[in-house]
Amino acid sequence: MSGLRVLPAIVILCGIAAASALLWMLIAPGLLAPEVPGYDAARMRLVHSTLPRLATALIAGFALSLAGALLQQVLRNPLASPTTLGVSAGAHLALAGAMLFFPALLGLGRDAVALLGAGLAAALVMALGARRGFSPLTLVLSGLVIGLWCGALAAALVYLNDRRMVSLFIWGAGSLATQSWEAPLALLWKTGLLTLACGFLLRPLTLLELGDEEASALGLKLARTRFLALALAVGLSALVTSAVGVIGFIGLVAPILARLLGARRIPAFLLASGLIGAALLLTTDALLQLIAGIFSDLLPTGAVTAVFGSPLLLLLLPRLKIRREPFALASFAPRRRGDLGPGFALVAAALAGLVVLALFLGRDSGGGWSFDAQMLSLRAPRVFTALAAGAMLAVSGLLLQRLTGNEMASPEVLGVSSGATLGLALGVFLVATPGFAAQLGFAGMGAFAVLAAILISTRRSALAPERVLLVGIALSALVDALVGLMAATGDPRALTILRWMSGSTYGAEAGSAALLCAGALILILPALLARRWLDLLPLGPETASALGIPVRAARLRLFALAGALSAAATLGVGPLSFVGLMAPHLARELGFSRAASQTAGAALIGALLMVAADWIGRTAVFPWQIPAGLVAALTGAPFLILLLFRRGRT
Amino acid sequence: MSGEPLALTRRTLLAAAPAAGLLGLTPAFAQGTTAAPRVVSLDYGLSSTLLGLGAPPVGITELAGWSEWVVEPAMPSGVAELGISSEPNLEVLAALKPDLILATSWLDAQIPRLERFAPVLRLETFIWTGTPILEAAISATRAVAARIGRAPEAEAFLARMEAVFAEARARLAEREPRAVALVHFWDSRHVRISADPSLFNDVLLRIGVRNAWEASTGPWGFQTLPVEELSRVMDPEALLLVFEPVPQDVFATLDRSPLWRALPLAQPDRIRRLPPVLLFGMVNEATRFARLVVEALEAES
Repeated sequence: MSGLRVLPAIVILCGIAAASALLWMLIAPGLLAPEVPGYDAARMRLVHSTLPRLATALIAGFALSLAGALLQQVLRNPLASPTTLGVSAGAHLALAGAMLFFPALLGLGRDAVALLGAGLAAALVMALGARRGFSPLTLVLSGLVIGLWCGALAAALVYLNDRRMVSLFIWGAGSLATQSWEAPLALLWKTGLLTLACGFLLRPLTLLELGDEEASALGLKLARTRFLALALAVGLSALVTSAVGVIGFIGLVAPILARLLGARRIPAFLLASGLIGAALLLTTDALLQLIAGIFSDLLPTGAVTAVFGSPLLLLLLPRLKIRREPFALASFAPRRRGDLGPGFALVAAALAGLVVLALFLGRDSGGGWSFDAQMLSLRAPRVFTALAAGAMLAVSGLLLQRLTGNEMASPEVLGVSSGATLGLALGVFLVATPGFAAQLGFAGMGAFAVLAAILISTRRSALAPERVLLVGIALSALVDALVGLMAATGDPRALTILRWMSGSTYGAEAGSAALLCAGALILILPALLARRWLDLLPLGPETASALGIPVRAARLRLFALAGALSAAATLGVGPLSFVGLMAPHLARELGFSRAASQTAGAALIGALLMVAADWIGRTAVFPWQIPAGLVAALTGAPFLILLLFRRGRT
Repeated sequence: MSGEPLALTRRTLLAAAPAAGLLGLTPAFAQGTTAAPRVVSLDYGLSSTLLGLGAPPVGITELAGWSEWVVEPAMPSGVAELGISSEPNLEVLAALKPDLILATSWLDAQIPRLERFAPVLRLETFIWTGTPILEAAISATRAVAARIGRAPEAEAFLARMEAVFAEARARLAEREPRAVALVHFWDSRHVRISADPSLFNDVLLRIGVRNAWEASTGPWGFQTLPVEELSRVMDPEALLLVFEPVPQDVFATLDRSPLWRALPLAQPDRIRRLPPVLLFGMVNEATRFARLVVEALEAES
C-alpha cells in the first residue's frame, strides 16, 4: 500500500508533461509576442481570456470531481457522478426554464436556480434509489431517466425557440469561454467554501468505510453524514453548472482514475479525485483551445469531455469491481393467470378508436376543429409511422428488459437509439440530403455499431446485464456528445439533426410508413415465437441452460432482433421517447406477464402511446407541431417515475 | 446610447413608408383579380421578395416572427401561417390550394413531397455556391418574377435597390467611410460575425465600405466567435455594427469585462446598434441593410 507504485507514477508524470506542453503552447503566443504600444491584443487576451479560462477549467474540474468522489464514496457506487445521477441535467433544466420563462429569477440568483434544479433531481433519484436499497444500478438508471427527461425538456425548449435559444444550447453543452476574472473568482470562493466543508466529513466518511454497524457503534450518525455528503456534492455540481453549463463525465472519470491509481484512504481519494479532475479538464480545454485556434470553430468543452470521457469509461469497465445484483426474478414471474381475452380486446379497441380519431379529427387554419376525410392522405402516413414505431420500440424494450434481466433496460437507455441518431447525423453531414433508404441505412449502421460495441466489450463477461447497461450508458453519452458537438458548430444543418432527434413524424410518407408497418410485422413475429426463450432467460443463465436453452445463441439472436427493431423505430420517431421503457411495464400492469402475452400487449400499448403522442403533437399548437417523440418523452417520463415509486413499495 | 436605436428605427420606417406604398398596391393585387397566382413562400427572403414584386403570398412559414426578424415591409393581413420553416404544415398547405410554392435549397429533401401540392420553384439564395450571394439573390428575384409574370416589377424592384446603393455610395464617398465589423450577439460570450461570402459583405462592397473582418468564413457567410476574438480587428478606425435583437443581459455583462472594455473595437464611440436585418435575406434585406449602414456611418460624431 505504502510502497511507491511505478505504473501510476509514470502515468502521472506523462500526464503532467503532456499537460505542461499543451499549456505552454497555449500561453506562449501571449507571453512571447513582441510588445505592442497601446492596446496589446495578445497580452490582453492572455490575461483576461486565456488565463481566466484555464483557471475556470481547473476550478470546475476540481469541484465536479470532488462531487463525483463524494457521491461514489457515500453511495458505494463506482458509477455515481453529477452526470450519471441527473444532478447536472436538473440544474441545466432549471436554468433553461428560468431563462425562458422567468428571466427576472436569474437576475436574483442564478446559483439558487441551479441549486434548486440540482437538488430536486438528486432528491428524486435518491427517493427512487432508497426503494431499491440504493443499489448502484438502480440509482444510475433513475438518474439517467431523470437526466433524459431533463434533456428532452431542454430540447423541447430549444426546438420551440430555435432562434432565441441557440446561446442556451452552446452554454448547455459546457462552454468555458470567459472574458474576465470575475467568473473564476466567484466560482473559486463558492466552491472553496464547500470544499472546506468537506474537510469536516473526512472522519465520518472514513468511519463509514468500516461498515454501517461499526460506524454506528462508534457514534456516527449515518443518515446525517450521508445527507451532508450528498448535499455538498449537489451544491458543488450546481455551482459549476450555473457558471459554465454541463461538463460531462469529468466527475465520473476522475474518481475512477484516482482509485485505479491507488488512492484508497478517504482524504487521499477525495483530494486525488479533485486534482485529477482539475488536470483532466484543464488539459482537455487547453487542447481544445489549441485546435479551435487552428480551425476557428466553436466547440464547447463540456461536450468534448464526454467524447474523451466515455471511451475512457469503456476501457476502464473491465477493471471495475461491480457488485453483482440478483436478477429481478419477481417482476418477470407470471403475476396472475386468467382469461386475458378481455384485456386484449380492450387495448385493441382503444387503439382502433384512437387511430380513427387521429386520422379524421384535426384543426383547420382558422383554429377550429373538423372531422373529415379530406386530410386522410396527409395524416395516414404519420399515424401509421407512429403506430409501427411505437409497437417496435415496445417490443425492443421488452426484449432488452428480459435479456438483461433488468426492467430499466430499453433502447433509449442502452444507447441503441442514440447510435441510430449518430448514424443519421453523419448521413446529413456527408450526404447533403439523404433519401429515406439512405437515412435507414445510416441509422441502421449507427444502431448496429452500438450493439456491436456492447457485444464486444461485454464478450468476456458473457453479456452480464450490468456491463451491458454500463456500456450502453457510456456509448449513449458519447453519441449524445458527438451530436451535441455537431449541433454546436452553428451549422444550420445541425438544426435538421436536432429536429430529427426530437422525434417528429413529419417526414413520414405513404411508402416509408408502409415499409415501417411491414417491418414491424416481420420483426415482431419472431419475438412472439421466441416466447419460451423469453420466459426462461430472465431466470438466469444457469437455470435457462439447465432447461435446455442455448443461452449464448438465444441471447445474441434476440439482441440482434432488439437492435433491428429499435433502429427501424428510431427512424420513425427519433431516439427520445420512453415508449420502449414504458410499454412493457404497462403491459405487465394490465396482467400480460407471460412473454407471449406481454409482447403482444406491449406492442399494442406502444402503438397506442405513440399514435396518441403524434396526434397531440399535431393538434395542440396547430399550425405549429410538437414532435411525437418529444410529447411521448415529456408525458411518459413522469409517469414512469410514478410507476417506479409504486413498484418499489411492493 | 439607449435612445439611438429607437430613433434609427423610426427614421428607417419613415424612409421605407413611401416605398412600401409603391410596392404593396399594384392594381392586379389591389383588385384581387384571379390572374394573380396563389403563391406560398417557405422562406423569409423569398416572402419579402414577393412583397417587393407587389405579389403578396397567400401563406408563409413563421409568420409569427415576421415583424421581429424581417420588420419591413410589413406582411399584409390575411396571409396564412404555415408554422416552423423546416416543417411547413402540410394540412394548411393543402387547404390553401396554391398555384406555386417557393422554396430554397434548404428544403431540398422535401421538394418531391411539396410538388404534390403545387409546382415548386427552388431557389439557391443563402448558401455560397460559387456565385456571390447578392448576384444569386438578384437572379433568384428575376426567376420568381418571370414565373409569376412580374418581370417589369422585378426590374423596378432591382432598380430601387441599385438606386439605394448608388445614393449610399455617393453619400459615403464624401467622407472616407470607416470599415465596419458586423456582429449578431448570441450571448455575452459569443458573436456571429458576417464576412465574405455573405449578403451583407456583398452589399458593403457595392456601397464602398470595407468589412473590418477580412477573413473568409464558411459557405454560410458567418462565423461564431468568442467575443475576445474581435481583438483580431486591428483597424483603429473600424466601427462595430451590432444587429438587434441583442439578448437581454449582454451589454450589462460586457460592461464588467476588462477585456471587452479595453477592446478598442468595443469603445462606446465605436459601437453602433442596427435594427434587425434578416441574416439570410435577399434584395429587400440588402436594400434595408445598405440604408441602415449609411445611417449608422453618418450618425457618427
